[in-house]
Amino acid sequence: MSVHSDTFALELDGLSKEYPGVRAVDNVSFTVEKRTVHCLVGENGAGKSTLVKMLTGALRPTSGKIYVAGKNHTPTSPQEAREGGIATLFQELHVVDELSVIENLTLGMEKKRFGFFVKSDLEDRVVATLKAIEPSIDPTAPVSSLSVAQKQIIEIARAASSGADIIIMDEPTAALSEREVERLFGVIRRLRESDVTVIYISHKLDEIFELGDNVTVLRDGKHIVTKPLSQVNGRSELIELMIGRPVFQDYKPRTTVTDEVVLQASGLSNALLKDVSFDIKKGEIVGFYGLVGAGKTEIARAVFGADKYSGSIALNGKQVGHSPREAIAAGIALVPEERRTQGLFTSLSIRENIPVMNLPRMSAGGLYRSADEVSAAQEYVERLRIATSSIDKHTEKLSGGNQQKVVFAKCLFSQAELLLLDEPTRGVDVGAKTEIYEIIKNLADQGDAVAVFSSELEEVLGICDRIFLLFDGVVREELANGPNIDISHILNVVTGGGEAAVQ
Amino acid sequence: MTSVADFLPQKETGRRMSDESFITLLVVGVAIGLFLLASAVLPNFFQFQNLVNLVTNNWAVISLGIGVSFLLVSGNFDLSVGGVVALSGVLSVYFAQAVGGANPLSSGLGMPYVLAIICAMGGALAIGALNALFVVRFKIPSIIVTLGTMMVARGVAQVITHGSQRNTNLPDSFGFLGNLTMFGTSIKLPVVLMVVLLLVAVFIEKKMVFGRVTYWIGSNPVAATLSGINRGWHVTKLYLFSAAIAGAVGILLASEFKSGFSNRGLLMEFDALVIALLGGVAIAGGFGSVIGMFFGAIILAVVTSAATGLVLSPDWQFILKAIAVFLAIMAQTWALALRNR
Amino acid sequence: MANMIENSQSSLGSSVAKFLREYYIYFVLVAVVVLLASANLDRFDLFERGNFLNERNIINILRISAPLLVICGAFTLLMVSGYIDLSVGSAMSLSAVVYAMLAINGVPFLPAFLITVCVGVLLGAINGFLVVRLKITPVIATLITLSLYKGVALLLVEDGVSAIKSSALAKMPKWFNDYGRDGTLLNLPAAFWMAVAVTVLLVIVQRRGVLGKYAAATGGNPTAAKLSGINTGRVVFLLYVLVGVTAALAGIARSSFMSLGDPLSGDGMELTTILVVLLGGTAFSGGEGKVLRSFCGALIIMSLTVGMLTIVPAYYQTLVLGAALLIAAASNHLVSRKGTS
Repeated sequence: MSVHSDTFALELDGLSKEYPGVRAVDNVSFTVEKRTVHCLVGENGAGKSTLVKMLTGALRPTSGKIYVAGKNHTPTSPQEAREGGIATLFQELHVVDELSVIENLTLGMEKKRFGFFVKSDLEDRVVATLKAIEPSIDPTAPVSSLSVAQKQIIEIARAASSGADIIIMDEPTAALSEREVERLFGVIRRLRESDVTVIYISHKLDEIFELGDNVTVLRDGKHIVTKPLSQVNGRSELIELMIGRPVFQDYKPRTTVTDEVVLQASGLSNALLKDVSFDIKKGEIVGFYGLVGAGKTEIARAVFGADKYSGSIALNGKQVGHSPREAIAAGIALVPEERRTQGLFTSLSIRENIPVMNLPRMSAGGLYRSADEVSAAQEYVERLRIATSSIDKHTEKLSGGNQQKVVFAKCLFSQAELLLLDEPTRGVDVGAKTEIYEIIKNLADQGDAVAVFSSELEEVLGICDRIFLLFDGVVREELANGPNIDISHILNVVTGGGEAAVQ
Repeated sequence: MTSVADFLPQKETGRRMSDESFITLLVVGVAIGLFLLASAVLPNFFQFQNLVNLVTNNWAVISLGIGVSFLLVSGNFDLSVGGVVALSGVLSVYFAQAVGGANPLSSGLGMPYVLAIICAMGGALAIGALNALFVVRFKIPSIIVTLGTMMVARGVAQVITHGSQRNTNLPDSFGFLGNLTMFGTSIKLPVVLMVVLLLVAVFIEKKMVFGRVTYWIGSNPVAATLSGINRGWHVTKLYLFSAAIAGAVGILLASEFKSGFSNRGLLMEFDALVIALLGGVAIAGGFGSVIGMFFGAIILAVVTSAATGLVLSPDWQFILKAIAVFLAIMAQTWALALRNR
Repeated sequence: MANMIENSQSSLGSSVAKFLREYYIYFVLVAVVVLLASANLDRFDLFERGNFLNERNIINILRISAPLLVICGAFTLLMVSGYIDLSVGSAMSLSAVVYAMLAINGVPFLPAFLITVCVGVLLGAINGFLVVRLKITPVIATLITLSLYKGVALLLVEDGVSAIKSSALAKMPKWFNDYGRDGTLLNLPAAFWMAVAVTVLLVIVQRRGVLGKYAAATGGNPTAAKLSGINTGRVVFLLYVLVGVTAALAGIARSSFMSLGDPLSGDGMELTTILVVLLGGTAFSGGEGKVLRSFCGALIIMSLTVGMLTIVPAYYQTLVLGAALLIAAASNHLVSRKGTS
């Protein structure tokens, strides 16, 4: 196939990944030139992460081929991918804190004989690589003494010295400060000079314009375009390419929104949040929209008392305590971000999951009313249309959508006045998504206040009455939803663009 | 055997039996099967009295198993119970012994028996509180903590008894509780208390908020906290509950033998853990039941008494325990995988 | 740049804590020795009259310590990898019994020694198989083998006899006793030098060896280790085998010192080993820990126990060890939390 193996580091040929009912990646073909920083952009759910997983061997493609430097190479494990010259920096760090920098750099690549390491040029090589990338890091220092950014640089140095020709970086700046980002960019540029190809994935469009040579846009699992960034006409063109169509918007102003303020938060600050203030009204659905790391989850957790914060949170004029228990007692419920690890009791049945947030309603004098539990479970299974053969089914055996409905049922059962929904439809199929939106709207119509924290624009635009735009722990703007809402303006704000950048 | 069905959760039409009931039934089935097998092989094994003995000879371990099972369900170990048994027994003797005996080991504090019992319970609860402090506050793995407190408890008992036992200069009332026979049969009070405790535990587990909260914590501690459950306090109560049971067992054993022996309850913590594991309680937490634990104890009792019947040396008990736990764990994993395939 | 300054400042603050964590154990060891040396032990009639730093006394302590010293290094590496072995005590007992049986039946020293070490390999491999292959939780898997090995050790010894020892029918050969008692270099027995040799080897393994580094990687960040192409399962398996081998060496040392093969001689060894390793600053969450520091921890504990014997009666031992375990776990935890976060 490839005749341009001298200029292309990587070629994808008709790559597809199918799941039952979904084509996460749909016949994607493009090429990545050698010695470039190639950016990959797309909205959430566009297929970026699935694509990356196939490149790194974590997933096997349903069909299609991958060529590395002209040779067919479809890895089946991260190890194989690395041997083929593809190294990956995942969002979470994969360094061993307890080892020194140099031990981390050589981990798994050492020369050994009879169970002992023998001196080789490996150490000199990795130290040289590290020095070239970031001279300020002491190779003998323990990794636990380094900052997050420095650890990331260690990972990059390891990837570079492992002989990888292609390094994939998935949102590497999510946890970095501005200054650290600049240093990282310096590192990436030096890598490019030393013949390494970088595939760079980020939501932050400024970074892409600053760093990238070429860009590939994905949308709904399909390849939209690959072209040099110099030929891209500013943020607005990129945003248009990502959205591709007017965002499907079926928002209809609802009549039940009142002026009665339910929640008043002012001056919330903590490690990530900076002076965040907002209010939520009775019968209203408020959206918080921002990228990963913008502070959505942190706001939800602060309001719920799960994280420490300074500032004040009042529900119906009364201060809310600093623990989930007090928040629930005050009338707040949270559907957490991570369904399986934070929301659901997976080893227990649907029936046993539902009552946990409102024990007074289920018991009298410490005695548990099992009959009520059964009827409550039946009621919510019916009301939320949870598809299950029995209320005694263990929740780990349910589909993502139905699991999420169980978490909803838990929160609804607490009879909260204010519902905090953190990524309410993440990992949920389309059908269940629509149903969950209906549930949310019904709740607001009945007079509950709802806050939706989401990184999906369509979701926020579809159901929220008012939208707060977040970037870097700050509420940048408050918008009223409506037919005239300016989507490219929203994307501009949440990707870090100032007002002036809007054309 | 009709009572077994009553214990099990009621099954309604159209509702699927839970994995827990499935495993419990499996354990009950194995217990009955082993009993019948042993009866077929051994003469005189199939007797009502023998069946009763299987329970009455193991009242102490079964009682301890209740607290241990609750803690396991909440995702925590308690290996201190054996030490607490020794401690509370020795304390009750020491407190009740008359002042001014002939030698250091025969003179105590001369408290009235009831007061001595109350103070001995205080000692047991102190160990429970220590467990809770280290596990909940300092967040140290419960296995390390309770191994340490087991040694501390036994160590205090050894110091008080100078490494042996105290059995002289005791009031007559001391031997009353442990040797009281009930209902005109040979069944002693501790056995009756164990049965009552078992029923109460099943009630707590199935019918009370307390039991439910235990499962929630064990199943997913993070979700439990985010659902408004005060996890630390609940685990504290469980450690106190377990230590209280162990304390009572120790006091009753001391009464039964009219002595406070510093090596009493040796390895009982492992036996309590073993019967819980045999009964299908998962150490990962959130899964298991007290009834399962009870039948786990029966399995172990049948196996060991059958071994004795087969004239195997008593040394076999360790190997049989090891094999039983191993098979139980493999069988349960396999059965659940098969069922949920 | 500002960031760098910030970094170096915080590291300056934590470097004191780091220094403490790295070297405190040596100070503790010196402090314990000084403390015991300065105590006037004249009135006690143990060992030689007089000073703790008496040559015979020190030799005696080091002779008794040989089993613990030989075992703690490998155990440290296992805990560094994030795993635990509760069966070391039983493995040690079983090895002691096997070694004594071979000796009393006329097998010469070297074959007897090697066969016993092979038994250690087998016992460790069984643990590794249960944990790595069958994926049974380490605590449960090694609790099963604790019971199993102990049972086998008990079965190997005839009924009615407490241990394998010289009798009218068969005499233990002289070399059996010499290994653990007879002074060679510096008047210290071969068993002690074996412990030193094993420790030196393991210190080198930890500094330069594949196993040492991979153990730290496996315990520190298993995902990172796997992504780096390390076969973490094999690492853990090998470490279990290594612990098995050192348990066998410990069994040889103990049986030789006592000149008998006692099936209960290793009881409680797992607790002492855990205590010593935690005292040496090994994190139970894995990743951190040093062989040499555990070696020092073992010396501290043995000096304390022996030194204590000269001051307080033996029955204080369990209490002190239990309390030490809790304190070691708590301080270890507090220091490591300060250090990392």
